[in-house]
Amino acid sequence: MSTTSQKHRDFVGEPMGDKSVTSLSGIGEILGKKLEQQGFDKAYVVLGQFLLLKKDSEMFSEWLKDASGANSRQAGSCSQCLREWCDAFL
Amino acid sequence: MSLFMEDPAHFSKSRLKSDLVAHNVVLPPTKSRKEIYVDLHLKHIAQKNAGDFSSDDEDQEQDLADKEEEEDAEILVQSCLTDDDLKAALLKHGVKAGPIVASTRALYENKLRRLQQSEGQGHVNGVEKGVLYSDSEEEEEQEDGESGSEGANEETAEQSNQAQQGSSQNGDFVYPQCFLLSSRMRAHATRKREPIPKRNSRNVIKSSQQSRHHCSQIPVGITKASSVDQRSGLGSGFPSGTHSAVSNGGSSISSQQSFSITEMVQEVERRKSLSSRPNTERELNGSNVQEHWSRSNRPSQEPVKDTIKEMFLNMEASPTGICATRRRPIKGAAGRPVQYIYPDTPTSPTTLERREVERRLVPIHIQILVFFIVACLLYMIYVCVEENSFNPFVALLDSPDQGSESEEGLMLQAKTQDTPVISGQE
Repeated sequence: MSTTSQKHRDFVGEPMGDKSVTSLSGIGEILGKKLEQQGFDKAYVVLGQFLLLKKDSEMFSEWLKDASGANSRQAGSCSQCLREWCDAFL
Repeated sequence: MSLFMEDPAHFSKSRLKSDLVAHNVVLPPTKSRKEIYVDLHLKHIAQKNAGDFSSDDEDQEQDLADKEEEEDAEILVQSCLTDDDLKAALLKHGVKAGPIVASTRALYENKLRRLQQSEGQGHVNGVEKGVLYSDSEEEEEQEDGESGSEGANEETAEQSNQAQQGSSQNGDFVYPQCFLLSSRMRAHATRKREPIPKRNSRNVIKSSQQSRHHCSQIPVGITKASSVDQRSGLGSGFPSGTHSAVSNGGSSISSQQSFSITEMVQEVERRKSLSSRPNTERELNGSNVQEHWSRSNRPSQEPVKDTIKEMFLNMEASPTGICATRRRPIKGAAGRPVQYIYPDTPTSPTTLERREVERRLVPIHIQILVFFIVACLLYMIYVCVEENSFNPFVALLDSPDQGSESEEGLMLQAKTQDTPVISGQE
């Protein structure tokens, strides 16, 4: 139903390696900065948080909104992006 | 002042900082994460409020005691729960929590609070309200503003629905609602059908539940609504209620047989030959539509038909007992017979365009003809003016223009004149 963005496809298409947090779908410059301030400087750290929450999209979205001030669309997009990445590579 | 539920995790970092300063708590280093502020906030301020609770109004205390008898201690001292306790509490509510770490703790605490709130309220007001609130909680959690208003409308609709019943409160409460709501459904059949398509996908389940309520009532609702609409829609002296009434009469007359459209058409043609054209055509077509449509509602029309017949006694006698007056065509009535075309049909832009195009159809042939004529002319001119390569044109001219010797003579002269020139040039 929801169409994926190019950023989403780029992220989910390959192992994230050392990609920055801004490479996540839904995370732009501003949100990326806020996350980095909190210590989530790389995408894999955010992945760590996602896995800590047992890959629960709702909980992760809630956390992301709280931590970075993302809106529900951005949080949902990031959550979906990470979920698909996990399905593909984890 | 402060409510019995405090939610520091939802405060902003600056708010947390200011709170801590207000309570004379040593601030952590500025670069630390929000969770640290939240923890400190919870530790110091929650403890303070734990003390304040005892001095709160008696009402509040009683409410607390009423609503959350079992979970009272847990709520007040939630910040003092160990990770394991928090995990156990979540498990009690059926939530399998992941590891409770600094970053996840706040989230799980919030979740626990929300679960306890919903449970506590469900305790007091019965099961269905719990379902209600859990639905609304879902909406609050997931979508901020999108379905908020719709959820509120839903809630009020559902609440009003359930307030009316009061008795059907089992797990199976969907179906009993059907019968209790039937009286309201009839009055609001048309109105309620409108909100349904507007709902988004998440509410499809609820809307489908409600539409299931409507399902059994739709035939009756439609006939009533249609009769109401017809009565209000037409301004003719002959009330359109006779439509359904008379068509019901007609259908009842031949209700034993199975109708087919061909039979209708035959009847129409028969009556065409008998009586004057325009009026009866329209009447019959109106009646056709009515009979065709009433056929689908046949089973549930008996009571409606009787009342309408009583109301409208001045019906003309006609062979099939059908009288119809001219009526506006129903928008989107696909597949209806073409007899509905009125003399003064408004022309849509597409028809205007088509007419313009059609006006040009004949000239197109003329255009093609003119094109060919011009092409031939140009070719001839090119041939005459061209001086360099004569052989192909001579050959060409030989075959079609054998009759035109003058041209040949011209070409030969030019050839004889120019070949020495060309040979001279070379």
